[in-house]
Amino acid sequence: MRTRMFLTVGVVAVLSAAACGSKGEAGGGAADNGTLVIGASLSLTGKLAREGILTREGYDVCQSVVNDKGGVPVAGSRRQLVIRYQDDTSQPDTAGQLVDQFNDKGVKLLLGPYGSATTEAAAAVVERNGQVMADSSGADDAIFAKGYRQTFAVLSPATEYAASMVQAIVDLADPKVRTVAFISADDGFSKTVTRGGIAKAEQLGLTVVGEEYVPNGTTDVSGALTKIKPRRPDVIIGSVHLAEGIAIVKQAKELGVAPSGGFAETVAPPTPDFTQALGATAEGVLGSTQWTPTTAGSDKWFGFAGDYANTFAAKFNGRQPEYHGAEATAACLALVLAVEKAGSTDPVKVRGALAGLDEQTFFGPLKFDSSGQNRTKAMQVVQIQGGKPVCVWPANASEAALRWPATKAAA
Amino acid sequence: MAGDEGGGVNQLAQATVYGLLQGCLFGLVAVGFSLVWGVLNVVNLAHGAFVLGGAYLAWELHDAFGLDPFVSMLPAAVVLFGLGYAIQRWLVNLVVNAPIFITLLLTFGLQLLAVNTLILLFTANYRSIPTGYTGISLVLAGDVRVPLGRLIAAALAIGLTAALVYLTRRTRTGLAILATGMDRGAARLMSIKAAHVYALTFGLAAALAGAAGAAVGAVGTFSPADAGRLTLFSFVAAVLGGLGNMWGALLGGLVLGLVESWGGQLLPGTLVNAVAFAALVIVLAIRPQGLAGRAFYASRLEA
Amino acid sequence: MTHLDAAPAETAGVPATGRRRYWLPVLRWEGGAVALLAALALQTRLYTGQERTVTTIAMFVALAAAWNLIGGYAGYACFGQVGFFGLGGYTAAVLMTHGHLSFWLALPLAAALAGAFAALIGWPLLRLKGHYFAVATLGVSEGLREVVINAGTLTGGGAGITIPTAGAGAPTAWLGNDGFYVLMVLIAFATVALVAIIARSRTGYALRAINQDEDAAASMGINTTVAKTIAFAGSAALTGAVGAAYAFQQVTIFPERLFDVDVTVLMVVMVVLGGAGTVLGPVLGAVAVAFASEWLRQRFTDVHSFVLGALIIVAVVLLPQGVTAYARDAVRERRLSLLENVRRYRL
Repeated sequence: MRTRMFLTVGVVAVLSAAACGSKGEAGGGAADNGTLVIGASLSLTGKLAREGILTREGYDVCQSVVNDKGGVPVAGSRRQLVIRYQDDTSQPDTAGQLVDQFNDKGVKLLLGPYGSATTEAAAAVVERNGQVMADSSGADDAIFAKGYRQTFAVLSPATEYAASMVQAIVDLADPKVRTVAFISADDGFSKTVTRGGIAKAEQLGLTVVGEEYVPNGTTDVSGALTKIKPRRPDVIIGSVHLAEGIAIVKQAKELGVAPSGGFAETVAPPTPDFTQALGATAEGVLGSTQWTPTTAGSDKWFGFAGDYANTFAAKFNGRQPEYHGAEATAACLALVLAVEKAGSTDPVKVRGALAGLDEQTFFGPLKFDSSGQNRTKAMQVVQIQGGKPVCVWPANASEAALRWPATKAAA
Repeated sequence: MAGDEGGGVNQLAQATVYGLLQGCLFGLVAVGFSLVWGVLNVVNLAHGAFVLGGAYLAWELHDAFGLDPFVSMLPAAVVLFGLGYAIQRWLVNLVVNAPIFITLLLTFGLQLLAVNTLILLFTANYRSIPTGYTGISLVLAGDVRVPLGRLIAAALAIGLTAALVYLTRRTRTGLAILATGMDRGAARLMSIKAAHVYALTFGLAAALAGAAGAAVGAVGTFSPADAGRLTLFSFVAAVLGGLGNMWGALLGGLVLGLVESWGGQLLPGTLVNAVAFAALVIVLAIRPQGLAGRAFYASRLEA
Repeated sequence: MTHLDAAPAETAGVPATGRRRYWLPVLRWEGGAVALLAALALQTRLYTGQERTVTTIAMFVALAAAWNLIGGYAGYACFGQVGFFGLGGYTAAVLMTHGHLSFWLALPLAAALAGAFAALIGWPLLRLKGHYFAVATLGVSEGLREVVINAGTLTGGGAGITIPTAGAGAPTAWLGNDGFYVLMVLIAFATVALVAIIARSRTGYALRAINQDEDAAASMGINTTVAKTIAFAGSAALTGAVGAAYAFQQVTIFPERLFDVDVTVLMVVMVVLGGAGTVLGPVLGAVAVAFASEWLRQRFTDVHSFVLGALIIVAVVLLPQGVTAYARDAVRERRLSLLENVRRYRL
């Protein structure tokens, strides 16, 4: 009995003494010894694995090009760029945790994860820690409506995804389009896209005859298509991701839903999976994209968009880049330019430099508004012609004329 | 707008046809799952991964040799039979007598392994097998379409289920499977090798899953992320239809397909999955042995 | 096949041989207090990132202990546990965002709602056994997720809901990484203690009897329905409380994470590997699995899921009764072979 008491009291005393120490200091100086360390928590596994890996490729290209040209110039010296990756398994809370872990190691400059949910979680932590993040793929305007000052998105906001296609259709389609219907996935990003698209359509005088929602990630959209069929829209616009995007075109053919103007979808058409999965049925489908190899603009690191495409292809066995890789490289480029402009790696100075950035790059213009989004950059609209997405809008980046009515292009 | 007056009925008719066809495919996926659950009392959480295995195999065969996916059902079934047999014989048999969480965890671990292997081998991209005829549809009254690819898949599903029922009722091997499922001890006394029979059953279920996978690849889109969803739908279909009855699994699949389709028409599109789960919970609460299952399986004591 | 061979509850510390294990009783309450102090003391030594990891581990300890009540003691494998987690989390989030309630009020309310929901659902579902119960609870949790996604105006649907944590609109200021560490550690200890108390009470005795043979227990006069409902509702309430704390910590929550089936499976893995039906088992299991998962993720970034799956399989085959039962048997009967386990359960 007494042994128990002594033991317990003894251990408690030792522990209380231990508890009186001060909190361990986070390791400092991640930017010493001639390297510039940037952290990136990405979805390398999990349901966003595919896009996470594409984003990583974009970051890798930036790292190798910058280092081949001697490294990042910082206040007179040049530093090699080192990007440290961690896997957030596509989970937002893990993304937040990893941001804190980077902060502990003194890594204050970060590249964004893939997807709006993970970016939102990471942005909250970045804001608390005073780090700086360049967002490559979180386009949802909701992230930037919270007053965050430390996160900057290089890509066009979500509201532009469908709105740009609506504008393109109104500008280029002949005969004119009168009615559209929307099929949207029910996640936050897609809903923002749909809202932006509907607003634009109504602003331009089109009638929206249908607005159907489907579960995110579903491969069966037959219910929504069957509901829309009797309303006979001229164009069906899909605010979706890859799975739903493929399903819409495939099942529309099965169900005999054939709008005279065809389909326009976000995210899916510019990816090679889309044309591979659908074969000939993909012909004529419109898509919106953040970037194509004909985007106007150039910079000293990557040259023009076409040069970037060649560099990417050389690094990855001839495979052409899609916009995921390009937007990732652009985010990395934004950080590099900001560090160079600020002449230091101090997060406060880098943040200031990012906020004041106004550059032309291979990705288009990089200029952030007060909320941190890049509204000066326009999205591009592509159409699948001959099994490949070609840019048809805006005029200064278009490679070919729009084939309209789109469904006839498949004949 | 013109054409809207008949629209409601036509939409419902289209939904019914589509739902039935979809349901047959669910049923085929669920039949193997139900077989394993009924005979071995093992809930195979990796079933969805087997289905995907078949789909990827069919895709590769189509890519390399241009083989039609419905023809690839056979090689997919054979390969997955071998895989299933091996897994059961040398892995799952090790925990057959353990409490149910153990087998659930084992098959969950298998699912993690399988899905990640698929991601490593084939990347996480979405795929679909584009064949010339799967877009063609027969047109019925009221512009109701019957997609040819899905019709073929449904016919094959019914055929395979019939073949399985014939196998289990009329052949010695099938009877051995049923006997082992009812009373393993007694079956062993009748000189049935339980380990081999269990492995055979699991292999059979995997083969059916593989064949279903080839069909899924032909008519739909798939990626490794779908494994969980496919397993979940197998659960629901198997429970709805009831264990111990192969036609029951098909019936369960049909009910699930119809419920999803009608739900998609009558309710906002995003509630479709909620309806399926609600159906599951209701059936379990009222009639746990499902629509066609035997009470024997419902009352059987779990180990 | 009854549960006699599965992990029975911890024996009451009576030494098998005379004087030799006088230290065992110390392990319980005094040991628990010491461990609590150690955990709190640890905080001063951790960097923020590690602190968050330990907070997550504490969360899983609480979740595993709560699941142990219905799954380990009662033997009812609830595969929809994450439904209560999400229900608690969303209730707290909605109460704080739309109702402007303080977190300290929202937490118990969320727990109470989760417990009440479980009691309600338990009425039809606890009649089911084995796999049927597992599947039914899974259906309930998936259904809850769909309902949350569709109740857009209340819960934000697929876009998630954000709890106001700063400025005038915030009912309670965000606790900070340090604050959440302490909160989670306290919740973990409270959960383990509560489960230990219930396990040693008449209800716990009833649950163990139900686990071994429900019909025999009923014929002994044990009210199985009441006992099972208490376990189910208690387990749900504790899980709901953890969910509420998690929601506040994350600030923005999405249905995919709060109702993720993988969370349930992780809970089950932790309890089974640690030792179902014991007090210490879930704690050990949670700490071990969470550490392993984190370490794997950092070391083998590309293949960690694969390696985790392989580890689960190996652990489940070699240690099906869990580490604590294995350790106890090894000490008591000097039996160390892992292959014994395999021989016991194989066909």
